[in-house]
Amino acid sequence: MNKQLFFLFFSILSLLFSKEESYGWDIPNSSLNIGGYLDITYDEKREDKFLFNDIAMLFSANKNRFDLLGEVELSHISLDGRSNNSSDVDLNLERLELTYALSDRQSIKIGRFNSDIGYWNQSPIPILQETTSSPHIVDNFFPKATTGILFQQNINEENSFSMTFQDNKDIAHQDGSIYINEHKALAYYGVYSDFSWRFSLGKYTENSNSRSDYMGIGSEYDGEAFSIQTEFFLQDSDKEDDKPYSGYIQSTWHLKNRQDAVVRFESYRDNELDVKEQIYLLGYIYRPTSNMALKSEYIYHSKLRLNRFIYSFSVLF
Amino acid sequence: MQRVVYIFIFLILPLYSLELFVIADKNFPESNLTRSEIASMFLDKKRFIKEEKILVMNHKVGTPLRYCFEKNILKKTERSLERYWRKAYYQGRRPPKVISSIEMLFLYLKSVHPSIGYTDSNTIFNKKVTILYHVICTNDF
Repeated sequence: MNKQLFFLFFSILSLLFSKEESYGWDIPNSSLNIGGYLDITYDEKREDKFLFNDIAMLFSANKNRFDLLGEVELSHISLDGRSNNSSDVDLNLERLELTYALSDRQSIKIGRFNSDIGYWNQSPIPILQETTSSPHIVDNFFPKATTGILFQQNINEENSFSMTFQDNKDIAHQDGSIYINEHKALAYYGVYSDFSWRFSLGKYTENSNSRSDYMGIGSEYDGEAFSIQTEFFLQDSDKEDDKPYSGYIQSTWHLKNRQDAVVRFESYRDNELDVKEQIYLLGYIYRPTSNMALKSEYIYHSKLRLNRFIYSFSVLF
Repeated sequence: MQRVVYIFIFLILPLYSLELFVIADKNFPESNLTRSEIASMFLDKKRFIKEEKILVMNHKVGTPLRYCFEKNILKKTERSLERYWRKAYYQGRRPPKVISSIEMLFLYLKSVHPSIGYTDSNTIFNKKVTILYHVICTNDF
């Protein structure tokens, strides 16, 4: 496939379908909406420096008490000619979920969905985050996605909890994240004014039959001048290469109307790599429109030789 | 002199204030909602009332009414709302229906049940609607 044409096609698409607040294309005379997102990254430590990290299509529809949501993702397309044989291009069903509202306050979801664990995992794509890189927690402590059932109960306008069950194979193929055939989790979410908090705990069994338990807390403050997000997770696993703890605190400072600065500090222990280290990140974000982001960041690792700059361009359309 | 200043402020204040009414159709199942319940409906967190799906209506971006509503009912800044709706879209939620005029708001309120919107004090006189909440926004729009 001609990479330049591909890039041009998606860039035009993203500009055509970008509107304030509302994204995607509402198909006339139906409740169906089709949109998507893309992000291109430059990472100086990666073999494929320029990469179409993700190109995804999102589709959603609702009818009475039913909501359907899907996300199909094409990822890891190199922009410097390394993906010509397409062996490293990955097409994956990220989400396919059907939600039914049982009542004003209760809902049940079936399918493959983002696990309702922590803050970052609720919106794990670059356009929705303030940094291109993700904290260590994201891929290492709990399954990013669950293929099963999620029950959600809103206690009132500010507090809710959810229960997750999976006892079957994942319907998507393995993409490098934790690949499971069993997952049980409980999560609580509370809000007070500009402040919110999350508590999660769960257990999962990987396809290799190793079992892990995890527990995490997180909080977020979203103010006019700045925002702060923090998460801390503990893990207990029967694997020898487990990851006992990981946490981060990230603050975003709103410099000007569409410009932000971000700092993040992480600390974790990884027995697989036999390392206990800290990661420091300093970044800058420019959002020319509400659906576009240009980001640059420098990451400093205290132990691993992964210090580097990362640049990205991402769009939601 | 101080008294004159107070009288002046008292007289001039109404010119720079806006009284916003959150209204619903005349058969709306609730006659009183809290600010956070209203915010939940406009942020697509609460879609049903008494088991019925609510039509939620918003005004265009940039209008004084909408600015007043976002600041005093939703309690969110423009940046915070932009961030919120980006994430909400990814999670399958949709913003309220944007109406182009006050006439359209009342037309929907008359024909769709349950439906909810907001307007200012000058337009609700003699209208058959349920008033759910009201707030006064002063000179900052």
